[in-house]
Amino acid sequence: MTAVLEVSNIRKSFGGITAVDGVSFDVQEGEILGLIGPNGCGKSTLFNCILGQLTPNGGEVKVDGKVVTGLRPSELNRLGVSRTFQLLQVFPKLSVRENLILAGQEHQGSMLSRLFGPSDAGLTEAADQMIGFFKLDHLATEPAGGLSYGQQKLLDAAMAFMGGPRLVLLDEPAGGVNLTMLADLRERLAAINREKRATFVVIEHNMEFVMSLCSRVLVMAEGKVLAMGRPDQVCANPAVIEAYLGH
Amino acid sequence: MTCFPRSLRIALGIIAVAGLIVVPMNFNRYGLFILSQWAVMTIAAMGLNLTLGYAGQVSLAQGAFVGIGAYAAAIMTSQGLPLIAALGVAIVLCFTIGWLLGYPALRVQHHYLAFVTLAFSTLAFLVFRNEDWLTKGIYGISNIPRPNILGFPTNRPLPFYYLCLGSLGIVSLAVWWLIRSPWGRAFVALRENPIRALSLGIDTRRYTLMAFAIGSALGGVAGALYAPLTQYIDPVPFHLSLSLDLLMMVIIGGAGFFFGPFVGAMIAVLLPEWLRFTQGYYLMLYAVAVILLLIYSPTGILGILDRFLAERRTKIASARRAAKSSLEAAP
Repeated sequence: MTAVLEVSNIRKSFGGITAVDGVSFDVQEGEILGLIGPNGCGKSTLFNCILGQLTPNGGEVKVDGKVVTGLRPSELNRLGVSRTFQLLQVFPKLSVRENLILAGQEHQGSMLSRLFGPSDAGLTEAADQMIGFFKLDHLATEPAGGLSYGQQKLLDAAMAFMGGPRLVLLDEPAGGVNLTMLADLRERLAAINREKRATFVVIEHNMEFVMSLCSRVLVMAEGKVLAMGRPDQVCANPAVIEAYLGH
Repeated sequence: MTCFPRSLRIALGIIAVAGLIVVPMNFNRYGLFILSQWAVMTIAAMGLNLTLGYAGQVSLAQGAFVGIGAYAAAIMTSQGLPLIAALGVAIVLCFTIGWLLGYPALRVQHHYLAFVTLAFSTLAFLVFRNEDWLTKGIYGISNIPRPNILGFPTNRPLPFYYLCLGSLGIVSLAVWWLIRSPWGRAFVALRENPIRALSLGIDTRRYTLMAFAIGSALGGVAGALYAPLTQYIDPVPFHLSLSLDLLMMVIIGGAGFFFGPFVGAMIAVLLPEWLRFTQGYYLMLYAVAVILLLIYSPTGILGILDRFLAERRTKIASARRAAKSSLEAAP
């Protein structure tokens, strides 16, 4: 097994507040790592540092053994690192299919081939497969803005998988999704993980979702790593119970 | 527009194009001038629509690019060079300057960007006015020749109108291709959510610069037609007010709609002419009409149509669902 993602000693502060304070961990190929912790403990900031949305004050990020710290998010994405955001980020005026084509179009060909080539960049079929996989078939031509919240959340996740990424960072994929759809989402994520050997890091507050999906869980508190281990180990850890899970 | 059947859309298109070719045959010199001006301004507004409407980058410099194109054409054709060469120079020049003007947009957005482009607009105007050796300053350049196209002279108003219309046709096809290509999709992504676009691998920097460069190049094309249309240019028409007029055309027609600039330019160029019978009041009436329109529909005239079509689509869809469920309910 090789580490797909290695994070060492990442630090990020905003003014006097240190949001991420020397976090190190690695994620093995095919693993689903859960990232939990109370609100404001630095989970999303850590994501943003890993993905180049923010420049860390210190530390290093490696993807497949290659240092990627300082790369722009678009460059990182074309290396096979994809993400979703905490808040919904679909393009409301584009149709569901167009959203997915957009998510995949920059992963192939050159700038010029995208101008003079076919208008769907040859991705209609791939997009429709993804639509089928996430059970959005009847909505393919609907503008994404007209979908329900849960459906948009599924689309948001589907978009992250369009480029065939090696590593996907999901920021609260289950937030605001109803129970039926949640089960769907979990099952889809597990399937992609199995079939495509895609590696995930998942931020989530829904404990049941995390514990059933993830093979390992990292708990953050006040910008630091509080605990890391199998879900059952983490749940039994007194420090974690104190800081996060509650008695 | 997705609601109209394809055949109806094609028929409407053919009627519109045929109308634009046939009807003006009976127009007088002035009518043809106004219509040619409409075609030229539509080209410039299409460029701005690309930058502003699709890619979401505010620009108050489109008028300056029309000016650059016009001066390039005026200077070169008065030296006896062919218009097509001047057109090439205008495109390359405006593309390059537009690309450079895009750099501030990588750092600032919205009204800050508006100010940066406004400053550029003023700079261009000062160059047109003060650099006498190149532009003949406030005296302007007169006797700008009209070109021969494939051996046909376009000195008379009707052939020149056809030249403008033909150019508009070519530009329209090119822009249509562009916005339907993955680039067009990337421009929309840039406008709607640049952070998400970046996380999907879209090089927002390069697309922003491209949106500026291509939009500006179309301003240059319009300018290269404007000079032989009026046959005399001085700095005044390329003042900031032209940029504001073009901005208004895009907004009134409907920013981000393909046909927005056509409608917007028609209103900005033709409506003041139609309102002339009200004599001294026509500019006031025009201003009031614009204000009322934007209160009623901030997304412009095509925004009204779009809303109407979307409502109709929803109604049809829900009627279909109702019919389906009543069918299922029946034994």
